[in-house]
Amino acid sequence: MNNTVIDIDNVSFNYGVVPVLENVSLKIYEDEFIGIIGPNASGKSTLLKLILGLLEPDKGVIHKYNHAGKDLRNHIGYVPQHSSFPRDFPVTVSEVVMMGHIASSSRLFHYKNKEIELAKQVMQKLEIENIEKRQIGELSGGQLQRVLIARALVCEPEILILDEPTSNVDMRAEEDIFSLLKNYSEHMTIIVVSHDIAFISGYVDRVACLNRTLVCHNTASISGKMIEELYDAPVKMIHHHHH
Amino acid sequence: MHEFIIALTEYTFLQNAIIACLLASIGCGVIGSYVVVKKISFLTGGIAHSVLAGMGMAYFYNTSPIMGAIIAALISSILIGWINLRWKEHEDVLIAAFWSAGMAIGILFLSRTPGYNVDLMSYLFGNILLITRSNLLLMFLLDLVVLAVVFIYYKHFLVSVFDEEFARLRGINTEFFYILLLCLISITIVILIQLVGLIMVIALLTLPAAIANQYVTSLHKMFMLSALLCAVISVTGVALSFGPDLPTGSVIVLTACVAYFSSIIFKQFVNNK
Repeated sequence: MNNTVIDIDNVSFNYGVVPVLENVSLKIYEDEFIGIIGPNASGKSTLLKLILGLLEPDKGVIHKYNHAGKDLRNHIGYVPQHSSFPRDFPVTVSEVVMMGHIASSSRLFHYKNKEIELAKQVMQKLEIENIEKRQIGELSGGQLQRVLIARALVCEPEILILDEPTSNVDMRAEEDIFSLLKNYSEHMTIIVVSHDIAFISGYVDRVACLNRTLVCHNTASISGKMIEELYDAPVKMIHHHHH
Repeated sequence: MHEFIIALTEYTFLQNAIIACLLASIGCGVIGSYVVVKKISFLTGGIAHSVLAGMGMAYFYNTSPIMGAIIAALISSILIGWINLRWKEHEDVLIAAFWSAGMAIGILFLSRTPGYNVDLMSYLFGNILLITRSNLLLMFLLDLVVLAVVFIYYKHFLVSVFDEEFARLRGINTEFFYILLLCLISITIVILIQLVGLIMVIALLTLPAAIANQYVTSLHKMFMLSALLCAVISVTGVALSFGPDLPTGSVIVLTACVAYFSSIIFKQFVNNK
């Protein structure tokens, strides 16, 4: 068994009086590709925000271990949902990717050659180097997602966290993105949040099903009954899938 | 037009006016771009109007109204920014409160100031033809401050304005940069007040940058294009108002509006082709 990199220990979180997460415990191991799935409002994004440290748990603790001994700021790379910024913003693909350097970069207008070089390599790997001069509003959903993944990879993280990475892309781009992540997962811990259980189970090593509390743990053993338990009832499941 | 060019060679006040336009365009192009991409024009309007409080007090205590304006603009931008960070859901009401409270305080102090000050009208509506050498020097210094801060923190501003959550995760103090940006906005407002007055300042901080936004792919290119547009618009405004002796600030603002709507229609036409 690999080292534990994130240890979520009996964590609860409320927004005001509304309980969002209750007694969630989950260990995430080094170089693991794990999917966190669940219906809307099941607390998936909240759990991510807790892991990222954007929120503090009301109860319980989250330990993060840093085995490679890297700069802690570069420990975790994050790919947000599309909605976190305006698409008409005057910024090009390469400028967005370069933002990955911001934590370690100096002040002043310019980036160092070393930083530019690393960004170029990442863009080549993700096959977006030919669109580097484009404004982000001109990109397809799949291209934009690659740009955001590139930005997170430029941080050279040990753990990559993605929030619904394929919610705005077509089926083919979705497959491309997941096989790309699959490759990276050989030497990186990857956590993906999704509502699409059927699709991601083909790629990830393990699935954690979340609906306020953690329901199940393994990809192999996902049964109809568990999905029913997760989504309460088959009827409701259809309701949840309509978005 | 010919008449204007001859006058320009003869009258220092016209030369000063043109230099003022060019100096204002620098701050206007850079900071206006941030106002537009961060979509905070209402907030900017609030800061601009609350400046009247500082000016009113400066008149009452018989000191320099421009210094009063600078201090009031900085205080109100820090206060609005700080409260806004903690009370985000009430942002629009908060701005309305600052907007009107600033005006009200300004008017209270002015009503207790003996005598009638013509100058006040020029701060409300601008009077570019009254700009002096020392005003120009002050505008130049304020421009330098704005440019220096933006040059040093360009990358940090870009990340915080574009994707605040990501910036925060990367350890950037986004609250600091938000308030710093509001301070730069307030400095630019003081620069622009001398051109078009505090009531119309919002036009120059949004319209040239909004036009530029339709044609550029990067923020630093937007700075340059909107500064250029602001220069062309304000110089045109001065030239157009000179012959028929119209209020210059109003003509500059209307020129900016015409340019903005023309650009929208032009873009629409090009896109439909």
